[in-house]
Amino acid sequence: MLHLRDQITESAEFVRAKWRGVPKVGIILGSGLGSVGDAIELDAAIDYGDVPNFLKSTAVGHKGRLLCGRLAGVPVVAMQGRFHCYEGYSAERATLPVRVMNELGIEVLIVSNAAGGLNPAYAAGDVMVIADHVNFLNRNPLVGVNDDRLGPRFPDMSSPYDRKLGDLALNIARREDFVCHRGTYIAMLGPTYETRAEIRMLRAWGDAVGMSTVPEVIVAAHASLRVLGLSTITNVCSPDIPHTTSGDEVVATANTASNKLSAIVQGIVSEFAT
Amino acid sequence: MLDLYDQIEAAAAAIRAKWNETPHAGVILGTGLGNLAERIEVAATLDYQDIPHFPASTATSHRGRLVCGRLEGVPILAMEGRFHQYEGYPLKQITLPVRVMKRLGAKLLVVSQAVGGMNPYYRPGDVMIIDDHINLMGDNPLVGVNDDRLGPRFPDMSAPYDRELIEQGLEIARRENFIVHRGVTVAVTGPNLETRAEYRFLRQIGADVVGMSTVPEAIVAAHAGLRTFGLSVVTDMCLPDTLQPANVDHIIATASAAEPKLRALVSGILKFDAANATSA
Repeated sequence: MLHLRDQITESAEFVRAKWRGVPKVGIILGSGLGSVGDAIELDAAIDYGDVPNFLKSTAVGHKGRLLCGRLAGVPVVAMQGRFHCYEGYSAERATLPVRVMNELGIEVLIVSNAAGGLNPAYAAGDVMVIADHVNFLNRNPLVGVNDDRLGPRFPDMSSPYDRKLGDLALNIARREDFVCHRGTYIAMLGPTYETRAEIRMLRAWGDAVGMSTVPEVIVAAHASLRVLGLSTITNVCSPDIPHTTSGDEVVATANTASNKLSAIVQGIVSEFAT
Repeated sequence: MLDLYDQIEAAAAAIRAKWNETPHAGVILGTGLGNLAERIEVAATLDYQDIPHFPASTATSHRGRLVCGRLEGVPILAMEGRFHQYEGYPLKQITLPVRVMKRLGAKLLVVSQAVGGMNPYYRPGDVMIIDDHINLMGDNPLVGVNDDRLGPRFPDMSAPYDRELIEQGLEIARRENFIVHRGVTVAVTGPNLETRAEYRFLRQIGADVVGMSTVPEAIVAAHAGLRTFGLSVVTDMCLPDTLQPANVDHIIATASAAEPKLRALVSGILKFDAANATSA
């Protein structure tokens, strides 16, 4: 893990050479949510393939670009597309972009994903503010020798998601008049969707299930960043009404909810205008 | 994952060279269930070591060969012995035979396993038709870049075990007058058996039986678009409050004793599915 810091420095210097701004907020746009990035006044858009040490994004609905610019007047850096463990990447490598955004100067990480709704009260198209998570990936990005310059050996996980930012997000949803829940996100490895038996198991533990976000939030906690997590409920996982799920359906539903997500992200970012 | 395609081609070609029928089904015979293979009219057998990219089978009472021939007149490929995660093989490699079965033309996967029973209404020697599974192996055979020629990036898992075949299996047991259950199997890595605390946990998350196989194969079958029929043979009871030390010889003997039931189910399902496929 000690070489990790050199990689972070190298990647960050590459981005700085293309963009001189100091971002306050880092944003990760998940499956089908990439269009939230359209609201950014772009100074630079960098393909992941050009950034040293970045991986290739292979997932459906992920563009694979780093967007640098201003949102609501605030300098931001946004990932249009992310890396997942199911793509065969280690959790450490998949979370490198969070380390790089941290190095560039962000104070807050906004992370979004498309998720299956476990809570029977949730409907497709709803947004959920992540209150907490369960790491069921069987992987942790901090496994290995700890580099104390990056964070502590045993990061506290009593509240990886910032309560105040979560409250703000719920206020925005109330003001804009759309449904927004607050619940627990469970990360599974994938790439298979859950069986009915797995959905029954997961229902006892959380409100939404997906295949991302948790490694990034663990790294953000390690790096002492404030985190806001947002899930778009793209399908309802119901163990008693067998119902097939496809990647295209998930992306399509996420697209329909992107206005809500955009409203929350812009509202939160505008809080950081100086 | 892209080299997987070439591995499948190479393994399929080696089998083709020895046997040129198109199998209707692939059958995987688990711990102690290998003697079902004796019912097959054998046309060819291949040791796993002679098939390119097949790992070596190291598990107890697993013979390690592929039997090509007919059961109930239906052309099949049967694996006498399988590969497990606990042997140290990656899930992608242990599920290669399922890919090869699909490549050779199989439409159906029949998969069997010896399991510990956690549902207190089950008895040693009972057979359970797998209705659903929970993957607790901490890994998935589809991790990596997806090869779209083999299946979709995000396979649906709402019914990995064919519902019509489940009903048909229940019907066969009624007709033949033996007990069969329908339930949920959970897959763990092993190789150690579970502690009492782990059995309580696995029962609580909704599993009826626990084993160390089958789920990776069923996931790959779903990815490849094969119909799957799964059978668990309860070889010992794993009730946390009356737990006895497990005895491997005893487990294998119980599995062997359940063979007539397994044979009736496998034969019946093969006949049913082959007839269905011809009429469709």
